[in-house]
Amino acid sequence: MNTDIYRNLLIALAVLASSAVISPILAGRRKLAGVVNFLLTSIAGVILLVVAYGAIFGEGEHAAQLISFGPLGIHFLVDGFAGLFIGIVSFMAIISAFYSIEYMEHYPEYHLRWYYLCYPLFIFGMILLLTVDDLSVGFSIAWQIMTISSYFLIKFEYKKKENVRGANKYLVLMELAWLLVLVGTFFIGGYHFGDSMHEIVQKIGETGGVYLYAMYGFLLVGFGFKAGVFPLGQLWLPDAHSIAPSPISALLSGVMLKTGIYGIMRTFLFMVPANATFDGMTWGMIVATVGVLTLFIGTVQSMKQSDAKRLLAYSSIGQIGYIVFAVGAAMVMLNVQDPLIKTLALIAMIGSLFHVMNHAIFKGLLFLTSGSVLYATGTKDLNKLGGLIKIMPVSAVIAGIASLSIAGMPPFSGFSSKWTIISTSLLAGNKVMVLVIFGIIALFTSAVTLACYVKFFGMMFTSVGHEWNVKKEVKEVPAVMLIPKIILTLVCLTQGLMPFIFYRVVINVFQRSAGSIVQGQYATYDFSQMLNVSLLGIQVKDFYTASVSAAAAPIVVLIVVACAFLISYLFRISGGSKEVTAPTWLCGYQELNNLNRYTDKSMFAALKNLLWWTGGNGKNQ
Amino acid sequence: MDIVYSFINVLVFILCAPLYDGIMRKITARVQSRQGPPVVQPYYDILKLLGKNTVNSADNWSFKLAPVAAFASIIAVVFLVPFAFKQNFASRYADIITVVYLLTLGGVSVLLGALSSKNTFAMIGASREMVTMIMVEPVLAMTLILGAVKFKSLALQSTMYSVTSFGYSASIIAMMVVYLLALQAFVGKQPFDISEAEIEILEGPFIEYSGPNLALFKFYMMMKQMFYAFLFIAVFIPFAETGYYIVDIVIQLAEMLGVFILIALIGSTNPRLRIDQAVKYYAVLIFISICAVGLSVKGF
Repeated sequence: MNTDIYRNLLIALAVLASSAVISPILAGRRKLAGVVNFLLTSIAGVILLVVAYGAIFGEGEHAAQLISFGPLGIHFLVDGFAGLFIGIVSFMAIISAFYSIEYMEHYPEYHLRWYYLCYPLFIFGMILLLTVDDLSVGFSIAWQIMTISSYFLIKFEYKKKENVRGANKYLVLMELAWLLVLVGTFFIGGYHFGDSMHEIVQKIGETGGVYLYAMYGFLLVGFGFKAGVFPLGQLWLPDAHSIAPSPISALLSGVMLKTGIYGIMRTFLFMVPANATFDGMTWGMIVATVGVLTLFIGTVQSMKQSDAKRLLAYSSIGQIGYIVFAVGAAMVMLNVQDPLIKTLALIAMIGSLFHVMNHAIFKGLLFLTSGSVLYATGTKDLNKLGGLIKIMPVSAVIAGIASLSIAGMPPFSGFSSKWTIISTSLLAGNKVMVLVIFGIIALFTSAVTLACYVKFFGMMFTSVGHEWNVKKEVKEVPAVMLIPKIILTLVCLTQGLMPFIFYRVVINVFQRSAGSIVQGQYATYDFSQMLNVSLLGIQVKDFYTASVSAAAAPIVVLIVVACAFLISYLFRISGGSKEVTAPTWLCGYQELNNLNRYTDKSMFAALKNLLWWTGGNGKNQ
Repeated sequence: MDIVYSFINVLVFILCAPLYDGIMRKITARVQSRQGPPVVQPYYDILKLLGKNTVNSADNWSFKLAPVAAFASIIAVVFLVPFAFKQNFASRYADIITVVYLLTLGGVSVLLGALSSKNTFAMIGASREMVTMIMVEPVLAMTLILGAVKFKSLALQSTMYSVTSFGYSASIIAMMVVYLLALQAFVGKQPFDISEAEIEILEGPFIEYSGPNLALFKFYMMMKQMFYAFLFIAVFIPFAETGYYIVDIVIQLAEMLGVFILIALIGSTNPRLRIDQAVKYYAVLIFISICAVGLSVKGF
């Protein structure tokens, strides 16, 4: 089993490399290159999904393995934890490649050679980053492949000056992040280049005192750069994500940010020696505080944007904040001497990985939606859009589902994961007061997220406006662009309605990842005592009285809401009223036109003014 | 079998919500030295609207979906709450976070309707409604969280009726004051009827709505008012639990009447604030409620 996994991993990487050779050669015929890239990415992706499945559900422990490439030996490790992220990356890579085939057609003035060279390499780099088991040689190779290939993908529209500037900034800051991680490792006593993670952990155990704080600090900042936490993410993320072609934005936001999360979790859950040199409480507090700041400020800044993709990019920072916050809160809870709180920590941890999965899907979906709108209308400025619901009904429904998901409306997917994160921190608040406050901020931010997406959806699909601002004839995007979105939508709905599947996956992941500080607890804890995961939903029970203390049951909520829908629908038709049409009424003085529309500047103005200090007000292009 | 209580909740709320609205209109009229409509006027209004033609200026499906969704969401909320001290089936499948989110869903439906109607006044109303929602939602959440931290449980029954187990404390009193100060904003009455503001932006989000769609929205507003009145008496004055279900219902309905009289008196004697003034006011309320939660964690 073990050797199979590594063999398959190498095959998949080889397929990706071959795609990087073949697709660019064919780039003269744009669609053919796209199809070839999609097919090869799919082959690699399917193999990787098998690898991920094996790593999460397969039998036995997964030991690290040294694989030699000529003179160079690199440690690899595919455990359950890496498997989960590999699964997300490869799934989104397939979808995004599918979407690229048609989407890239709307850049007739740009050649696709670089695009199809870098696309498979980008995936290659991310997979490599997730599977290497060191922080030096293999890590550097993977990071550089990922960073440089994504740099060229972001710079795709190189004829626009601001795009090149944004991409350059991205490159410089990602190299800085890489340096920070490398510098961090130098604080480990007796550290050698090429040490495997296992050796690193041992040496951390022998290093003591202030060096460790420096090491964890550097790694947090380095990986935090990648993940886009406040204030580092604001430096590069909105620019890079908004200028890249949409399938790439979907990958950057849905997947690449998660490599930063992966790094943070590896650092604080795995790179921790068994003896007591690690100050989990302090680091947990730091990570949780960073997470809360990130989720609040990122989301509020997102509300202020009028460019659809910038809005999504800032909102990615916000959602990353939820994940980081959950990790930090879990670390804090692990260090509270109370069996109840310790179990809550495990649940919070599930919440963070569940949100990683959910965010990958719905944010990918949202970027693909804004890509579709860009494809159909040629603009991503919310002030110029509006009223597309009638012309692009399928995209509108998909965007609606994704928006409700990210806003955490039951029974959509963000609900279960945000519920897990918020409810655990509220329940633990009795012992750690600050977690209650954080939980309330997270709940408040969830309403702000809603405001962002009311704006996003409202100004794009409902309301009115594109007829005056878009010159060309707008049509629904072709089926080849809808199919990948529909697949993602189905996954998104599954995540929302059946959280139990993903709970089980995450529990398995932690049980099968040797070396994490929580593995023992996941393996031995009798979850059924406190956590009831069933088809109907998730229930957290009281430790002592076994009564249900928190519950999220999306399916039950769905049934209740559906019945309520039926009641209100019957109520509406009960009078037998007929429908007539009339023009919009503006007090009889005015016809509706482009000048008396309500624009983004006025939307939520009172709240924006109140929260001006969070920044991101900038010049909205 | 406790699901029966959920259905009774819905029935009681649907039957009583217009009555309370009628009483409020009567009181408001009397305060303003008018005769006022009969207390059953809201029932007539709704029945009449159901038979009227729908004027649709929007020409898209979300315009028609929104009122149904709004009414459905408030029914779902009412379905879940432990009205008259009766634990219902929700205790196993929903908690306060679910209820907070479902209430938000109602607000979102109003916004969807407003945005779909293409009317600039509706957009102004939607923007104000969203801001109000963001700012009062934390107060609502913290009202419930206050009990939750004491009980170490987010279940609806225990958090809503926490006073019956723990009695009054400094934090509960502080929260009660905040709730009363936020009450008009919860129910959308003066001085916080900013998003509808009849004489300023012509009912804001509802400007383009007519006929049965408007009836649904009106009903949604009435149900929402009744829910917030119920929440107040459940969280802050949950007394006189007799153990007889029907008596408990009557007592709680009577207590709610008191809350509605208060709403009507404040509403009829206050001018409307501007949204920027209101936002600052809400910010203070949020701050006080965070302090109250902090006190509650510390055991006060």
